Amino acid sequence: MAHRALAHKSTDDVAVAVADLKAGEELNIQSLEGGKAHQIKLLEDVPLGHKIALKDLPPGHVVIEYGEKVGRMTRAVQKGGFVHVHNIRTLRWDYGKGSKAKSQRSKAKNLKKGGQ
Amino acid sequence: MAKTRKASMQLTGYRRPDGAVGVRNHVLVLPVDDLSNSAAEGVARLINGTTALPHPYGRLQFGEDLELTFRTLSGHGASPNVHGVVVIGIEPRWTDQVASAIAKTGKPVETFSIERHGDLNVINAASRVAYQMTQDASELRREPIQVSELVLSIKCGESDPTLGLAGNKAQGQAVDRLVDMGASVIFGETSELTGGEHLIANRCATPALKRRFMQIYHDYIHMIEDQGVDLLGSQPTEGNIRGGLSTIEEKALGNIQKTGSHKVNAVLDYAETVKPGQGLVFMNSSSAGAEQVTLCAAGGSVLHFFTTGQGNIVGHPLIPVIKISPNPITCSTMVEHIDVKLPDLLVGDISLDQAANRILDVFVRTANGRLTAAELLRHNEFVITRLYPSA
Repeated sequence: MAHRALAHKSTDDVAVAVADLKAGEELNIQSLEGGKAHQIKLLEDVPLGHKIALKDLPPGHVVIEYGEKVGRMTRAVQKGGFVHVHNIRTLRWDYGKGSKAKSQRSKAKNLKKGGQ
Repeated sequence: MAKTRKASMQLTGYRRPDGAVGVRNHVLVLPVDDLSNSAAEGVARLINGTTALPHPYGRLQFGEDLELTFRTLSGHGASPNVHGVVVIGIEPRWTDQVASAIAKTGKPVETFSIERHGDLNVINAASRVAYQMTQDASELRREPIQVSELVLSIKCGESDPTLGLAGNKAQGQAVDRLVDMGASVIFGETSELTGGEHLIANRCATPALKRRFMQIYHDYIHMIEDQGVDLLGSQPTEGNIRGGLSTIEEKALGNIQKTGSHKVNAVLDYAETVKPGQGLVFMNSSSAGAEQVTLCAAGGSVLHFFTTGQGNIVGHPLIPVIKISPNPITCSTMVEHIDVKLPDLLVGDISLDQAANRILDVFVRTANGRLTAAELLRHNEFVITRLYPSA
């Protein structure tokens, strides 16, 4: 039977919809690398290619996909909820402002050169 | 099964004087600078079967940036997909510099400069040369070639999570098989490794290559941070976000799937030359489609695999770009742009092995002369990467 959503690893926090999904759908989500399937009731519509939370994810939680860190939750999402740019943010440039990184880096450079 | 695959790889191509093997047979009219576009395009309009590569650069560049532009131009002239080249520049010195780098391949190269002659005299003389080169090229015949004689390249664009789940996984398996058969395969997209750079670093074949790779990666990140900015808003792109990618890390992890599982045997800078038999090769490059394909072609790639989620439609004037998509919306709404359709892989109706076979089948047919979607639709994007402003 054709899949409706798939995870990369069964231990990932999120899966990906492989069709346009509607709130209320009951999904049996398998992983490409095998392991335990997830039984999920969708809380929101999730379009093709977008992500579904496989567990409750609190704010600040570092999200795992492909078995790797892909970002940090900025808001809570419940199991079966929709995970996207409204509630997850990159861990890179996590300081918020590039200019801060620049000043930190020049500071590091100065220290290397023996400056203050 | 392995036997069936090998038997099905009956490839033909063009062997050039230096032994390099191409899968197309172009005659190129190459402007050295923006001022020479008009004459180059004039020649290409007059002589059937020639290709001009107009571009906006080549004046008052200096240092590494000038070297990269020259390397990109001469790399296209040297492409194994090119039989001969007519080089046109505003003045003779830089024109000869680009032409002499191409002439090392032993292929026919002629130069023309516009100062003291004017566009019309140059178009006349250059057209007569292009006429003969093109007639000679038309008499060349394809001959049997081996995969191990080819330099190929890969990229994904307008990515979405359907690539990481399906399209790039299938492409990765195809890359593994091509490398097993002895092909060189170039990948790049330095910014789009962010979040997965450690995975590529750990696949570098030697500690020295790993250091070189991390140096290139960190130089890139520092260049961004030195501007006092970050890549939020550009990486992922608005198209990526619409398709479901939320962060650069997620995009990078999907991107990396298409590199397969082999060791990275070489780490090169922009447009450096790649030879057959090098296996999987990293080339420092932009993640913008046309820039990266142009850099790969300059490095010697003769055919490019391009996986897309939301529908990047890029092509190249000299190398066929095979477009592969697992996204059912893209495959149905942009059907004329996609050469290999894999929505059945996305939902698990076919295996990765079957999907890789489908990609390699189209690869063989395309190498043998079948026109790609991008070739049919005249997607001739040629975009030179600049490192800094001109003087």
